[in-house]
Amino acid sequence: MTKNGEVMNVNMLTVQDLRKSFGQFEAVKGVSFSVEKGESFGLLGPNGAGKSTTINMITGLYPPTAGTIQVKDIDVIKNAKQAQKWIGVVPQEIALYQEMSARENLKFWGRMYNLSGKALEKSIDEVLEIIGLTDRSKDKVETFSGGMKRRVNIGAAILHRPDMLIMDEPTVGIDPQSRNHILETVKRLNSEGMTIIYTSHYMEEVEYLCERIGIIDHGELIASGTLKELRETIGDRSRINLTLDSNATDTGKITAALEGLFLEKDLQLQDYLLTAFHKEPQSVLSEIIQRVTKTGARVSSVDIVEPNLESIFLHLTGRSLRD
Amino acid sequence: MAFWWLAWKDLLMLVRDKKALLTLVAMPLLLISILGAAFGNMFAEEDAAPIKKFTLGVVNLDDGPLSTALIEEVFQKQLSKGIKIKQFNEEDLHKKIENRSLAVGLIIESDFSSTLLAGNETKVKLLTGPDPGIKDDIVEKVIEQFADSIPIEVMARQAAQPVQADSAGADTPSTQPAQAAPTTTDHPQEQSASQHLIKETTVNAKTKIVSSFQYYAAAMGVMFLLMTVVQGVSNMILEKEQEVYKRLLLSQLTYTNYLIGKMIGLVIICLLQAAIIIVGTKYIFGVDWGASAFGIAIMTAAFVINACGLGVLAGAFVKTEKAFSVAGMFGSQILAALGGSMAPLYIFPDWVVAMTKLLPNGLALQTYLKLMTGASLVNILPAVGGAVGLGVLFFAIGLIRLSIERRGKYA
Repeated sequence: MTKNGEVMNVNMLTVQDLRKSFGQFEAVKGVSFSVEKGESFGLLGPNGAGKSTTINMITGLYPPTAGTIQVKDIDVIKNAKQAQKWIGVVPQEIALYQEMSARENLKFWGRMYNLSGKALEKSIDEVLEIIGLTDRSKDKVETFSGGMKRRVNIGAAILHRPDMLIMDEPTVGIDPQSRNHILETVKRLNSEGMTIIYTSHYMEEVEYLCERIGIIDHGELIASGTLKELRETIGDRSRINLTLDSNATDTGKITAALEGLFLEKDLQLQDYLLTAFHKEPQSVLSEIIQRVTKTGARVSSVDIVEPNLESIFLHLTGRSLRD
Repeated sequence: MAFWWLAWKDLLMLVRDKKALLTLVAMPLLLISILGAAFGNMFAEEDAAPIKKFTLGVVNLDDGPLSTALIEEVFQKQLSKGIKIKQFNEEDLHKKIENRSLAVGLIIESDFSSTLLAGNETKVKLLTGPDPGIKDDIVEKVIEQFADSIPIEVMARQAAQPVQADSAGADTPSTQPAQAAPTTTDHPQEQSASQHLIKETTVNAKTKIVSSFQYYAAAMGVMFLLMTVVQGVSNMILEKEQEVYKRLLLSQLTYTNYLIGKMIGLVIICLLQAAIIIVGTKYIFGVDWGASAFGIAIMTAAFVINACGLGVLAGAFVKTEKAFSVAGMFGSQILAALGGSMAPLYIFPDWVVAMTKLLPNGLALQTYLKLMTGASLVNILPAVGGAVGLGVLFFAIGLIRLSIERRGKYA
């Protein structure tokens, strides 16, 4: 269902067993998922997980090694240009001409989508209003802050009013204020019916924006669903982080000391950081500290994290999302 | 029509790039002024300069004793310190004069000896290039001096062989030498009759001389246009390394339209630069680009197509912008040196000059010089056709290579 209560049963995007190899290296290994019209879908994964390669294939930029991609009813592999009419792409890097003003850039990119005349001018004015740069439209992009450039970067992707907006890490390296503005812009576009595919390694952004989330790692989609569904994969348990001192060298002794409190798969000790998952972390915290202390190691800090995407990712991959 | 906007964007960005504008427009004009002034003496007439030994190209169609005497006794023996004789056939001699390998040429007709011995007037052709200095005057004087001695010889022959002379009377009228004989005896240096015995015809007299400013206006023009092409292709490769290129491919612009747009942009930029150089040198330095403005325009367009084609071909085989910039800088300088943009073409051996016609800048420079020395549009059409043909060939090969490369990477 959409936010307006309409039934959404039309797939905007369908990806089936998508694969991409660069020589011997297989960057994407059989990814399948679908996105409904008006939905906001987040593709979450660490750097190098295969998010951008997947996006580049969906947009028709890279030819897949295998698999199928459909945007609406259009086969992207066979009719990329036709599919691209309906897609707006916000690349990871700033894809603008720095020596041109924001308005000139928008005009140029609009023309690249065959817009012209009054329709183009109207679209530029609307987009400038959406990205909040009407006052600075005549300034050269090179004079803009990183956040403002990112906003123009988004503006150039929505000029032709695409049905689906694909955003590849659009908030990398910008100030919190610009980041908030971008997130609000995306929310607004989605609420107006635009389908959003949002890739990021910032979990809070994906949590905030996306109704459904796919977690990608080492080229594979390891989990997919709503945030609630994903939480259930870790049994809705909180994460307990204990930072140990340098005496905690015998990891086998420490994990053995905690036997009975956790299942083996719910306990990890790496680089003096002990991570455990438990439904009621407060009830077992003192017991954990006592047992660890008895091994000769000391606990220097304790942190209890409510179930979130990072916990899910850690639970699924055994490593932090920002590794 | 999106490719027009791509070309427009490239133009807009160039106009805003002050550094690029300085290189494209101010630098050529500055260099033309420096080189034009510095090499002025090299192209000037040699009246005031000491006379150096020079080569006289000769076509001797006559088997008689007088032409042999003129060549062997006069030029090769008596004047061997000042003149070197080289014999050619008529066609080769004309070519040598036209391409300035020789300053002066002499064609001796087949009836030279017989006519002179008969005491009649004969003719020789004196061929000169556009800037022979005083070489043609020297040759002319030598021939006149030689002609002065003919009546004496004829008289001597007549005195020694009266019967033979009389018997040949019907074929070889003796009135003129007979009239001339006393005059010759009294005033050997003022033989008016001898003046009529040999008549010189000067060929290429209408060909104009190219000044140093004219030469370097054309030479620097083609060199800087070549550099602009290198810069344009370099920018194209740089753009391909950036995100804007991917964004362009994701828009409704097709790859073919992308290439067309880029080429149009580059061609327009080059044509504007050429126009500024031509008009600038005409009004600032008074450079005469010849009578055919249309010829200059059409050759410029052909050269730009040729150079852009070569640029795209070179760019198709170089992967990074850095590598192309380095290769392009060296390549354009080598082309400029071989094509005559640095040292004048006139000092190059003939085969080098002929080979440089295969280079876009070499062909363009030689054609500009032709136009400057009075050639018409018709005269340069083969060069225009050759330049356009080569450009299209280069572009087609480059396009095939780029398409193969692109298919391996992009959808």
